[in-house]
Amino acid sequence: MAAKHISWAEPFKIKMVEPLFMTTRAHREKALEAAGSNTFLLRSEDVYIDLLTDSGTSAMSDRQWAGLMLGDEAYAGSRNFYHLEEAIHRYYGYKHVIPTHQGRGAENLISKILIKPGDVVPGNMYFTTTKLHQELAGGMFTDIIVDEAHDPNSGFTFKGNVDLSKLQAVINTYGAERIPYVSIATTVNMAGGQPISLANLQALREFTSKHGIRIIHDMTRVAENAYMIQQLEEGQGNKSIAAIVKEICSLTDGATMSAKKDALVNIGGFLATNEWDVFEEARNLVVIYEGLHTYGGLAGRDMEAMAIGIEESVQDAHIRARVGQVFYLGQRLIDMGIPIVKPVGTHGVFLDAKAFLPHLRQTAFPAQALAAELYIDSGVRAMERGIVSAGRDQKTGEHCFPELELVRLTIPRRVYTQAHMDVVAESVQRVFEQRHSVTGLRMTYEPKYLRFFQARFEKLPAA
Amino acid sequence: MKHRTIIEPFRIKSVEPIGLSTEEERAEHLINAHYNPFLLHSRDVIIDLMTDSGTSAMSAHQWAGMMEGDEAYAGSRSWERMEQEVRDLTGMPHILPAHQGRAAERIIYGHLGRPGKVFISNTHFDTTRANIEFSGASAIDIPIPEGRDTALQHPFKGNMDVAALDQLLKEHKGHVSAVILTVTNNSGGGQPVSLANAEGVASICRKHDVLFLLDCCRIAENSWFVKHREPGMEGSTYRQIAQRMFALADGAVMSAKKDALVNMGGFLALRDEVLADACTNLLIITEGFTTYGGLSGRDMEAIAIGLREVFDPHYLDYRIKSTTYLGRKLHELGVPLMRPIGGHAVYIDAKKLYAHIPPHQYPGQALVCELYRLGGIRSVEIGSVMFGKYVADGSLIPSAMELVRLAIPRRVYTQSHIEYVAEAFEEVLRQRDRVRGYRIVKEPKFLRHFTAHFEPIV
Repeated sequence: MAAKHISWAEPFKIKMVEPLFMTTRAHREKALEAAGSNTFLLRSEDVYIDLLTDSGTSAMSDRQWAGLMLGDEAYAGSRNFYHLEEAIHRYYGYKHVIPTHQGRGAENLISKILIKPGDVVPGNMYFTTTKLHQELAGGMFTDIIVDEAHDPNSGFTFKGNVDLSKLQAVINTYGAERIPYVSIATTVNMAGGQPISLANLQALREFTSKHGIRIIHDMTRVAENAYMIQQLEEGQGNKSIAAIVKEICSLTDGATMSAKKDALVNIGGFLATNEWDVFEEARNLVVIYEGLHTYGGLAGRDMEAMAIGIEESVQDAHIRARVGQVFYLGQRLIDMGIPIVKPVGTHGVFLDAKAFLPHLRQTAFPAQALAAELYIDSGVRAMERGIVSAGRDQKTGEHCFPELELVRLTIPRRVYTQAHMDVVAESVQRVFEQRHSVTGLRMTYEPKYLRFFQARFEKLPAA
Repeated sequence: MKHRTIIEPFRIKSVEPIGLSTEEERAEHLINAHYNPFLLHSRDVIIDLMTDSGTSAMSAHQWAGMMEGDEAYAGSRSWERMEQEVRDLTGMPHILPAHQGRAAERIIYGHLGRPGKVFISNTHFDTTRANIEFSGASAIDIPIPEGRDTALQHPFKGNMDVAALDQLLKEHKGHVSAVILTVTNNSGGGQPVSLANAEGVASICRKHDVLFLLDCCRIAENSWFVKHREPGMEGSTYRQIAQRMFALADGAVMSAKKDALVNMGGFLALRDEVLADACTNLLIITEGFTTYGGLSGRDMEAIAIGLREVFDPHYLDYRIKSTTYLGRKLHELGVPLMRPIGGHAVYIDAKKLYAHIPPHQYPGQALVCELYRLGGIRSVEIGSVMFGKYVADGSLIPSAMELVRLAIPRRVYTQSHIEYVAEAFEEVLRQRDRVRGYRIVKEPKFLRHFTAHFEPIV
């Protein structure tokens, strides 16, 4: 088609389907109670449209499925590893690669290798597992994202940007030698899937080079970030997604990747670095935690699917449809007057639970309550990204009170259709109409780490 | 008709080509891999007997299960199937999935171990020992004395020395984190453990109130030996025998890459809720959420099916007898090896084969390199490279045995592949006096055998 079309129609057709389960409201009420009002604890079978996460939930292409059949399951030196390594060299440009079973495996390794007790790791907003690994290694996370990121109503385009004056302040307080690296996520998940601009990253590179500080790239959604740069950043519109992705990577010293997002696979990740010493240490550590360095805890077939997925993920037509679908849902909700984080992120739509349920205090877990309500209404499963996810302060033991209290409607890649998105929008609208009757929650069980996964709740009585 | 031929209880549904090479090419590959087969490209290997871990051919049923994988992040149906299957088999209530066995091990041993703590096993495997030592604890091996003599015939050479266990538990009172019984005993030659021995270990653990864990990655193969060698067991099914063993333990770790017939996966099964909760916290941090543990849904599906298939009596018969077939052939050729033949592998006694190479020059490594150079066969050293230790003055305490393991992947190679391996050994024997030892030129601190570089001694 020569004409420039507005529709985000998918550049693929469906080759294999999986049945969905339709349930009644009564069934869902029971299921949610059994799950302690935590959507993480629901059975997949009781869920109609699963927007819990875009992680590991993609539909693979026929080429990737064919790749699964080409798995070389040799313990050492599998040819799939070399294919993966080649794909990473070609599309991301990092020198050395260590596969891991998923992203957190790579986070564990890099934190253990680079962070010493007492170190400070600045980053463009925290992410749950990333922050925890930094803390377990004896480090402390500190936020240097621009202020706009914390304001769900700010229309600022690049909310993932770093505020260099904040980084300067961290250096003034702790000294550059206590900063092993700056952690940069593309896109920033906890801010609502918000991108960082190339100009900002370039400025950060220049700044950190001056102080001899590394940049480690949490690159799980780098292609989506590149799409936003292509669409919205001045002077970048003529570059391909592949070119922008490579440019982003070239401004950093190493990366952790959960391939379960942009790389379109159900399992897998890697650690990449341009430094030989870091690579050597990672190669020694990976055998203890993951597996030998040529499989890192992955079946050969999954490395093959990842190599193919990386290539597919940087195609302009793919990303355009991917983000187009997310924006479609976002726009529908905006048109309905639903409070969501703006601009719409690239991998999901984030409902602003504080504005949605203004009658609830943050300690009544408004986002958790909203996610529960949405499930009861339609069987749509969403995820809390607010006070429960933020956890407790390491020192005081008090709740951390994040400014953003969000419910994430995360869209798996290539899985749901436009009609599914319509069902979601309509359900959100119904809950919005009945929002005044939604009561808060009380936490009845709280695990020590990453509490959002397994915490249990009880409904508070109506006031 | 009673037949002597071991017929596979399956036919082949999908094949994978093998790349052939010349001896000259392989000599070159060996140099590039620093004489460490772990560093060889898989495409340059003809017959890969490096490990039986994750190398199985899955069944059509398992591949169909792969297509049904539910990749939901939380509450996946595939997890429910796997959890149910593991519960049925082990009788344990708390099941934690992990991306493979060593992850399950690291979680529980990392939680239980710390400096001053002790773990006791019939023989710790390489990754097990590394996990324990990494936590600061120490690992003590107490196989029965017969287990250390490669030529001696004994039906259950994998057994633990129960008297020694009692003594150790008294000596280290209050400091023993767990007793780990590995079935079959991999480092000790893939030798089985009897049910009676497991009962003895369990009762001593109970007496001293110490946690008793099974490393059950080859429990189906172990059950075959119990049924055929232990008095009174011939009437039980393989699955029943495994279940009786599980019933004795407080928990189990499994690398599903062995007897669950899959390419990836593992789990931790526990009876105690408090311990399970503590392990769950660690699981989420490094592996993944409780309902996937770092595995794709499809792999959990394949594990659930594989755990059923492995107890099929025809499969187990074929599995054990075809391993024995290779062992018997090599024995007839005069290759010194660990006897009786174990379940998953044939272990060559490299110390006897290359009597002229002293342990600190790694006779096992020499054999591993010879086998690759002559036949393109990849095997693994289980001797002083894997288990040797340096003392303060830098000298090496060698391992008790210098073995080379020929591990047979499940359902992958045919009888003619095995004949080819035997043929390569004829050449190994012809050239034995010419072979020299090796020295290590580079090594990491833990699990050095995976990445160390070697050099032949001229």
